[in-house]
Amino acid sequence: MGADESWERIATLFESLVTLPPHDRSRALDALSGDDALHRDRLAAMIAADAASELPLDGGSSAIAGGLLDTGPVASRQVGAYRLERMLGEGGSAVVHLATRADLGHRVAIKFLRDAWLSPVRLERFLGEQRTLAKLNHPAIATFHDADILPDGTPWLAMEYVEGVPITEHCRSQGIGELDRLRLIRRVAEGVRHAHQQAVIHRDLKPSNILVTERGQVKIVDFGIAKHLELVVNGESTRTGLRMMTPAYAAPEQLTSSAVGTYTDVYALGVVAYELLTGQLPFALDGLSITDAAALVTQGNAPPPSRIAGSSLQRHHLAADIDVLLATAMHPDPQRRYRDTDAFIRDIDHLLAEQPLEARPDSMRYRAGKFARRNARGVGAALATTAALVALITFYTIRLRQARDAALAETARVESVQRFTQNLFEGGDASAAPPETLRVLTLLERGVQEARSLAGDPRTQGELFLTLGGIYQKLGRLDRADTLVRAGVDRRTLEHGARDPITADALVALALLRMDQARYADAERLARDAMAIHAERRPPGHPSHAADRVALGRILEAKGDYPAALGVLREAVRMHAARDSTSADYVAAATALANTNFYAGNYDAADSLNRRVLVLDRVRHGARHPSVAEDLINLGATEFERGKYKEAEALYREALGITRAWYGEMHPATAASLTMLGRALVRAERWEEATSSLEQALAIRERVFGMNHPNVASTVNELGTVELRRKRWDEAERHYQRAAQIYRTAYNGKHYLIGIALSNLGSVRMGRKDFVGAERVLREGLQKFTETLPPEHTNIAIARIKLGSALLGQQRYSDVVKESTAGYDVLARQATPSMRFLQMARHDLAAAHGALGDTIAAARWRADSAVMAAKRS
Amino acid sequence: MEPSRELDALYSLAYEELRRLARATLRREVHASISPTTLVHEAWLKLQGSHEVRADSPLHFKRIAARAMRQVLVDAARRRNATKRGSGVALVTFDETLDQPDAGAAALLELDSALLELARVHPRQAEMIESRYFGGLSAPEVASLMGISEATIHRDWRAARAWLAAEIADGR
Repeated sequence: MGADESWERIATLFESLVTLPPHDRSRALDALSGDDALHRDRLAAMIAADAASELPLDGGSSAIAGGLLDTGPVASRQVGAYRLERMLGEGGSAVVHLATRADLGHRVAIKFLRDAWLSPVRLERFLGEQRTLAKLNHPAIATFHDADILPDGTPWLAMEYVEGVPITEHCRSQGIGELDRLRLIRRVAEGVRHAHQQAVIHRDLKPSNILVTERGQVKIVDFGIAKHLELVVNGESTRTGLRMMTPAYAAPEQLTSSAVGTYTDVYALGVVAYELLTGQLPFALDGLSITDAAALVTQGNAPPPSRIAGSSLQRHHLAADIDVLLATAMHPDPQRRYRDTDAFIRDIDHLLAEQPLEARPDSMRYRAGKFARRNARGVGAALATTAALVALITFYTIRLRQARDAALAETARVESVQRFTQNLFEGGDASAAPPETLRVLTLLERGVQEARSLAGDPRTQGELFLTLGGIYQKLGRLDRADTLVRAGVDRRTLEHGARDPITADALVALALLRMDQARYADAERLARDAMAIHAERRPPGHPSHAADRVALGRILEAKGDYPAALGVLREAVRMHAARDSTSADYVAAATALANTNFYAGNYDAADSLNRRVLVLDRVRHGARHPSVAEDLINLGATEFERGKYKEAEALYREALGITRAWYGEMHPATAASLTMLGRALVRAERWEEATSSLEQALAIRERVFGMNHPNVASTVNELGTVELRRKRWDEAERHYQRAAQIYRTAYNGKHYLIGIALSNLGSVRMGRKDFVGAERVLREGLQKFTETLPPEHTNIAIARIKLGSALLGQQRYSDVVKESTAGYDVLARQATPSMRFLQMARHDLAAAHGALGDTIAAARWRADSAVMAAKRS
Repeated sequence: MEPSRELDALYSLAYEELRRLARATLRREVHASISPTTLVHEAWLKLQGSHEVRADSPLHFKRIAARAMRQVLVDAARRRNATKRGSGVALVTFDETLDQPDAGAAALLELDSALLELARVHPRQAEMIESRYFGGLSAPEVASLMGISEATIHRDWRAARAWLAAEIADGR
């Protein structure tokens, strides 16, 4: 009886029973007969439960959900070596406590992430702050001390406890003079410059994050939304949700969600300086919406500090320079702002030393005028030099602008990728979500439209096309990626010329797309073209040479040309190692080389690379990050291939621990790790454990995908294989039948996976010597294969060999010769991992020819078989 | 690679979105009552334009989301139980309600395992309960999704409820 019929019966009986008066029910239950009697106990329990029980079902899910998801405020005691004293503050996602380290006696501020489990992204953002802080070491930045995770999964970080007041308050209460205020800002800027040198942008500089201690030390605190400059595609960096930051100090590019960079922190420093020197903010943004605030700030017409009524600057002899300094720091156009903190600091120094500023207002007269003023005695003589000076400045400015353009283009590219990918891959929490409800492709399509409207700016358009194409490629939408990447190549060719190194960069992108499209010849040609252009046009040691080799190596590997792939990848790894053997580029190259070594069978080489990558990933991401799990699985795969199942198992278990902690018990990623582990256990013939691991994976997949999903069937199939190898025919048959049924339903009767399940079922029946039954399912499986696979496919060949065996069992010798020979001919031309089936064919063919009286053929097959058996052993 | 990454992605997407929405609701109003039905509906409104979801019918999405919602609640309940069993270590707990008896978590976990058992023997009925209870699908919606009459839904609901209650009573 199937589940549906049995349920139908239970439900019908139950309905009729509960409509009876209570005292008649037990009699009716007793009267059940035949199949119905099997349900008696269940029905009796159901009737009792129907009347008496209170189920969560009855209250609706809201009643339970509120209690489960709600989280109360903090109650706390001891964390690691620290004793918590009191709460210092509380934000949306974090809470900060003052704590003392008992053994050393020093005080720290400990920040806890609340509800880390809410999403991996949230956790990653917090760990990102940890890593950021750990990188920074500067007297003007609060020092990082310690970090760990509580047993309940709550991560925390301890940093220097700064007993200080906001810089604005400090200046007010101490009556600090204007130039000393500038000197204070300079010290803040030094701290920011240090962060920038570590590729960290603070992005939320404001007086409440810039504290001054009693001893007058400046300390920047709260790198909570700081971001790393390097390109990150796995959602590890933070996104400036507008709600996370303070609009008053936000640069226009932050308010308009444009590319941010080090110049963004320069802007905020400018605003803080403005506030310190004038006692007010440059723009009155209170009560404005983000859109209105952005409109106002983007115009950039803040009143010059020297013209603020009541400001002591009005009569200051450096007032004009201060105006220029702050106007340049707060320029709404990042290209015309101080490019970095260094430039800002230099001009503060110039100003304090009463030298001309590097910054200049739009008119050249300013600088020339100042030059004249300071050299008043020789103005006449200076007229000649002025011309030379102008030329010099123009040259300098142009060179500066070029460098700046290049930096901006790079930042813009990186940032746009980041913005898009963050939206794509972040689960995100409320504070990080984009203001719109748009997601993924909507967002991408909007990007594409924006890009198309940029026809007047082919350079940016090209960047955007390539970026968007890359994202579509990652998403597996290769057709869309194709259009965009080709458009990007075209733009660059038009803009720079076909032999320009920048055009060649785009060719590499196209090559990698062609690889994903399995157009290996095109891919290889494009990659080699790009490599030739770069070799000719870029200096040796440029990172693009190594990048080209990684791309080409991956293409050659995909093509199956392992020796050539190994050659170029080794070169790439060497080149990256010469520059920085801990960089993300190095890791990518080493991983590619490790994979190729693995496929080529060089397990030792693969291992040593994977081990190095593992160390680097642990440093980069922390010990419990999915990329670490991936490295462990790669290491496990080599152990597996070497037959070291114990070692493989240990690695898979460690990876499983990470995926479990990261994604949770019931996530498909956890199921995937469990499946890997299960396979290793099968090979070790540890059947019970293998079954248990696979059953856990199965439970997750059933839960996640439903009982009748192909992902469920693949695990059921694995379980069948365990039973097959244990010669537990009934169990194996049941699993394979279920897998076949799921595939049939899911794929509407037409898919090679149905054939796989049927072919496995055939093995079960051969095992129990049911040759007729085996033939039936093998023929059906073979039909599914021939309908869906190319005629020379390995699966077809194997199925025919197995069919031959089933026919041999029925003594239908000429049919054996027909099927086994056909299968053998195809399989023998292909690679050798299926040797077992070739041996099966040789054995069957020897037997069949012998029975048919062809003793010569029989002897030949027997000899072949013996030779192979000798080779295998 | 698994044959269907789409469903995997859809489930993950729904799961994350539901957690996000739950958190956002709580942030807006402390002690807000959270309705999974509303969350699932909001998740649909939010995700319906996205690539993963666009091809899906609202009903199909809600069915997957119901499964994700169940998981969100089960995870929360497990956490609660785990923290409660914190074995005397001086934990920092972020949850004052821990000291209160937590009947809700235990009840949900019991319901969950009873549902797993129901899914094993009568998968369609388990699916119906899941869709209605965790996804807030109405009886007509479930009827159209499963291709059965509304009357059958009502009959099955009561019978499945009793089945689960009996299973839970048995497990105690």
